[in-house]
Amino acid sequence: MARITLDPITRIEGHLRIDAEVNGGVVTNAWSSAQMWRGIETILKDRPPQDAWIYAQRFCGVCTTVHAISSIRSVEHALKVDVPLNAQYIRNIIMAQHSVQDHIVHFYHLSALDWVDVVSALKADPKKTAQLAQSISNWPGNSETEFKAVQQKLKSFVETGRLGIFASGYWGHPAMKLPPEANLMAVAHYLSALDYQRKAAQAIAILGGKNPHIQNLCVGGVATAINMENLATLNMEKIAALKTLMAETREFVQQVYYPDMVAIASIYKDWFKYGRGVVNYLAVPEMPEDTKNTKFALPGAIISGGDIKKARIVTNHQDLDLIANIKENVSHAWYEGNGTLHPWDGETKPSYTEFQDNGKYTWCKAPRLDGKPVQVGPPAQLFAAYAGGNEKVRKLVDASCAKIGVGVNDLHSTMGRLGARAIRAHLMADYSLEFLDKLVENVGKGDKVYANPTEIPKGEYKGVGFHEAPRGTLSHWIVIENRKIKNYQAVVPSTWNASPRDDKGVLGPYEASLVGNPVAQADKPLEVLRTIHSFDPCIACAVHTIDPEGKEITNVKVM
Amino acid sequence: MKTLIFGAGNLLFSDEGFGVHFIQYLQKHYTFPADVTLYDGGTLGIMVSHMLEDADQVFLVDTIEAKGEPGDVYRYEKDDFMLGKLPIKMSPHQIGIQEVLALSEIRDRCPKKITLFGIIPTTYDTGAELSPLLAGKLPGLAELVVAEIAASGTPVEKR
Repeated sequence: MARITLDPITRIEGHLRIDAEVNGGVVTNAWSSAQMWRGIETILKDRPPQDAWIYAQRFCGVCTTVHAISSIRSVEHALKVDVPLNAQYIRNIIMAQHSVQDHIVHFYHLSALDWVDVVSALKADPKKTAQLAQSISNWPGNSETEFKAVQQKLKSFVETGRLGIFASGYWGHPAMKLPPEANLMAVAHYLSALDYQRKAAQAIAILGGKNPHIQNLCVGGVATAINMENLATLNMEKIAALKTLMAETREFVQQVYYPDMVAIASIYKDWFKYGRGVVNYLAVPEMPEDTKNTKFALPGAIISGGDIKKARIVTNHQDLDLIANIKENVSHAWYEGNGTLHPWDGETKPSYTEFQDNGKYTWCKAPRLDGKPVQVGPPAQLFAAYAGGNEKVRKLVDASCAKIGVGVNDLHSTMGRLGARAIRAHLMADYSLEFLDKLVENVGKGDKVYANPTEIPKGEYKGVGFHEAPRGTLSHWIVIENRKIKNYQAVVPSTWNASPRDDKGVLGPYEASLVGNPVAQADKPLEVLRTIHSFDPCIACAVHTIDPEGKEITNVKVM
Repeated sequence: MKTLIFGAGNLLFSDEGFGVHFIQYLQKHYTFPADVTLYDGGTLGIMVSHMLEDADQVFLVDTIEAKGEPGDVYRYEKDDFMLGKLPIKMSPHQIGIQEVLALSEIRDRCPKKITLFGIIPTTYDTGAELSPLLAGKLPGLAELVVAEIAASGTPVEKR
């Protein structure tokens, strides 16, 4: 038996540790450990509730807008504040664009190199690469000239001895299966993807005033003034700029990212067999289309045991059963005791021990729904929408499965999660433009309202802000007392997925997904990375320090 | 010449947010010409790569892990802190500015002049304020950075 510990202590921001026991080339047990104490929630205590979102969006270094949205919704839910249609539409566009940006970056810059061999791309024939790329997409960038240029760039890097930049990749690993041409195509898109994630960032900045860290929310709506003729507000010129940016990003998502994903999935079809793990799912409804968060473009659902047909559809954000049955257990987490608490009563009292296989081993609590572990993320949202009869999702999921040659039930897997994310990006790129049209139409009808200004009243109020974020269901739980925050807890998607064992010893989604995973070479556990990366782990929540990385440098002290 | 002053860090972990506090300090005390961008980059790595690629020269301000006393400020040129490799990443949090710059190099879009001012922190405790020691370093570092920008031909005025 071999024990693998993956703990990339880059000291830049590495804080997820995975331990896996391997027997005969297969993982037989696994532990997921968040290695960093956060306790960020405590910073919000006693602050004014209307300011919570400004701090909350710094919870995470990557997905800032999602925490802003969830936070503002928690206050609106607590105080039963309606959100005007214009504000809902603007928030929907921000959410959709953030998703598009996040999914592009996840696929190309975080997970692609688990499947794509950069070194092999050097051996590709650019002409054949262009033929391959043109057979799956009409993207104008898929030319022989372009691929040749990328390959030349890579080669010159190698010649100057700088391929070292990719030195820690698992090149030539037996689990790498793409032909050189597919590798070159993917590397070229890996480099150009950066230009498209920026367009999404720019779109968010136009609406949110700033990116990262949007500035335009307020309890009861948005602070984005709308006046089609006024230069200082959201006007026709800005709408036109948004439309162009979002259309360009959509073209990239639908003609590059999505076809690349389909091509890679078709070659790595065996990866639909691995990484199943926990197949209880939760997704909350998202993209509100009314002022009370009761009508949504995408439904939510609770799915047990992978049975999509028996899904319980969640239609709104006031679902009392859902609100009552989310609890967090700390038996295996570095907090006092082994109790289970509802987030409104949640405590954050640290109690650190060493890493104990059978005891406490992580800073991550174990969230449970009805006492069971749950997987959240793009597959959950697609399954929910599929079960809820969303025609757009059904068509897209069915068509994608047909192209790859798998069934919907194969999506409970490592490759299924990657595929679901590409499908969701496809969907969100469409929704971005759809909600922009709806916004323009609604303003055209004469509705200029973008906020219901709200005073925080005296007394005690509890609220929950649900949001279906790129990584899955996010919820912020707030208790307000006498105009101040009395308690605040965030149950984030990665807490659901990176959950440790609970009081009954039941494994969390990352852990369960690794059991049965193949590992060809224990010292190069590429396959473990594939499965963990497929969840898009987002653990550190942002401690960030530059480390000149042990290079021999001369420190020049200047102050 | 387009100049970017990029402050990195998380405002919720006291000194970890130094770069962001630094940007706020500059906004309050100086007036910059239009071709200088003050940027609160938070802790986003790859998702702000375009900000770096668009500039001709970049001044990065961040906390660093280095030998020395809390509050010590070190100055690095691009070649001093560029990583020689892209380490394996578990999460997008781990794609830091160094990796982003490496990617930009491959794209031929990496600015030639990047200067990092790194400060050794006192504490990473939760809290939205800097430690008194690091707060006291803001004016001096601002003068240093402004002097370098002025030396590159872009005058900056004090408010």
